[in-house]
Amino acid sequence: MTALLTLAVLATLLGGTLFAVALDRAYLPLLALFTRQRVETEAPDRLNRDLAPAWYLALAAIGIAVVPFAPDLALIDSPVGIVIWGSCEALIVVTVFLHGWSPNAPFPLIGAYRYAAIGLPVMLPSMFVLIAAALPAESLSLVAIVDSQREVWNVIRQPLGLPLFMVVALAMTLRGPMDYADAADIATGTSAEDSGAGRAVWQIARLAMLVSVSAIAATVFLGGPLGPVLPGPVWLWLKTGALMALTVWIGNRVARTTPSRMLTILWVVLLPLSFLHLLISGLIEL
Amino acid sequence: MTDLMIALLVAFAVWTGWRVFRVDSMVRASFALMLSFVAVGAIGVLLSAPYIGVATVFMMAVEMMVMAIFMVMFMMNPAGLNPMVMVHQHRLSIGAGLVAFFGLSAAVLLSPLPSNPVAPGTDVVAQLGHELLGPSMLIFETAGVTLLATMVGAVILSSRQGRFGSADEGSRPPGLTEGGDPAGRQPEGGGGHGHHHHGGH
Repeated sequence: MTALLTLAVLATLLGGTLFAVALDRAYLPLLALFTRQRVETEAPDRLNRDLAPAWYLALAAIGIAVVPFAPDLALIDSPVGIVIWGSCEALIVVTVFLHGWSPNAPFPLIGAYRYAAIGLPVMLPSMFVLIAAALPAESLSLVAIVDSQREVWNVIRQPLGLPLFMVVALAMTLRGPMDYADAADIATGTSAEDSGAGRAVWQIARLAMLVSVSAIAATVFLGGPLGPVLPGPVWLWLKTGALMALTVWIGNRVARTTPSRMLTILWVVLLPLSFLHLLISGLIEL
Repeated sequence: MTDLMIALLVAFAVWTGWRVFRVDSMVRASFALMLSFVAVGAIGVLLSAPYIGVATVFMMAVEMMVMAIFMVMFMMNPAGLNPMVMVHQHRLSIGAGLVAFFGLSAAVLLSPLPSNPVAPGTDVVAQLGHELLGPSMLIFETAGVTLLATMVGAVILSSRQGRFGSADEGSRPPGLTEGGDPAGRQPEGGGGHGHHHHGGH
């Protein structure tokens, strides 16, 4: 059973990543990168430069491993599933920072510090939104959170949750308005000095992370594997795919503002909004 | 099996902890310390304390990210990639290290350790929650308010709009003698902002 579930998780991650590649229309650029040679920077931190893409990919895999594929079935069926995902988010910020810090070059370093400054305040709304989703379930387990949505999905019961979590999803996948790490305005930032296969793996990890964060959002807000007629995993795939497409669409449509203004938005608007969200969700559950 | 994994994680935690003092950059030191705590968190998970273990990973990832930023910010080595020596005050730190090592070892060896394994199926996370928000409430609330005060203090100290006006305007270094001229290089010419410097724009 565990072997089958592991296979399903890996297949979902792979299939989802291919779907993300299609959404981004990135097949040819990614394939071409594997044939290019590597370009070295002066005195890089080799360990972190080589491992950062692998860590990003590993965090995407851990994230999707805690997602229940059927109402009572998750590969990592932990009583603290959403805290595991929270740890993944925190480690993503560290990974992106190290990816930008390790080449020892100006643009990646600017991207790394910009992302650390934006990523840390993004974690706070994320935590409040996830804790709010845990309230009706009275548990930190994702299986219990799915179970609590049998009658009404969290997206209806807690309407602010999904929009706030979409901001987190954009930040965790370095996309559109929240892409302060790899943005075009600083010559692709943390990946400016990436080349060859290393660059391709980083981009693939970014797309794999889109699958994981969308699967978590589908589980927490859209009832995950719950749904009529079709089997659980199919519902999870449909919901995850829809959220991936929505994230890519928002990323392409919404403009990015300056980091300083985004910091103000995060601390002054989104953080109080997530407090309010937690308060309302708590009062409803009382 | 669990014993072997705990032994490996302990070895990893000790090795990464040792690396903190042997690497030559603040960023490497911060994240070596983070890896050490991640191993400790994994040991917590193996000891049937899932919330404490996973929360340790979460807290340490955020904390070490903040620490790396702040340490690099206050160092003379802006990127954190230039080599620097991580150890200083050798005698004092060796003494403190030995005292801490023997003290903790004595505490481990001399205190009677409990041996009551958690029954499988116990809802340990809920029990921890009841403990934190029940008998231990006062301790955690005190710690929470103290941390909040520290954070407010840190923001005030590092804010650009300080108590005495904008931080980047009209600041004068203190004098070399009591009431003397400010230290450092004096601006050239009276009042001018050196228009000849703008040639390269």
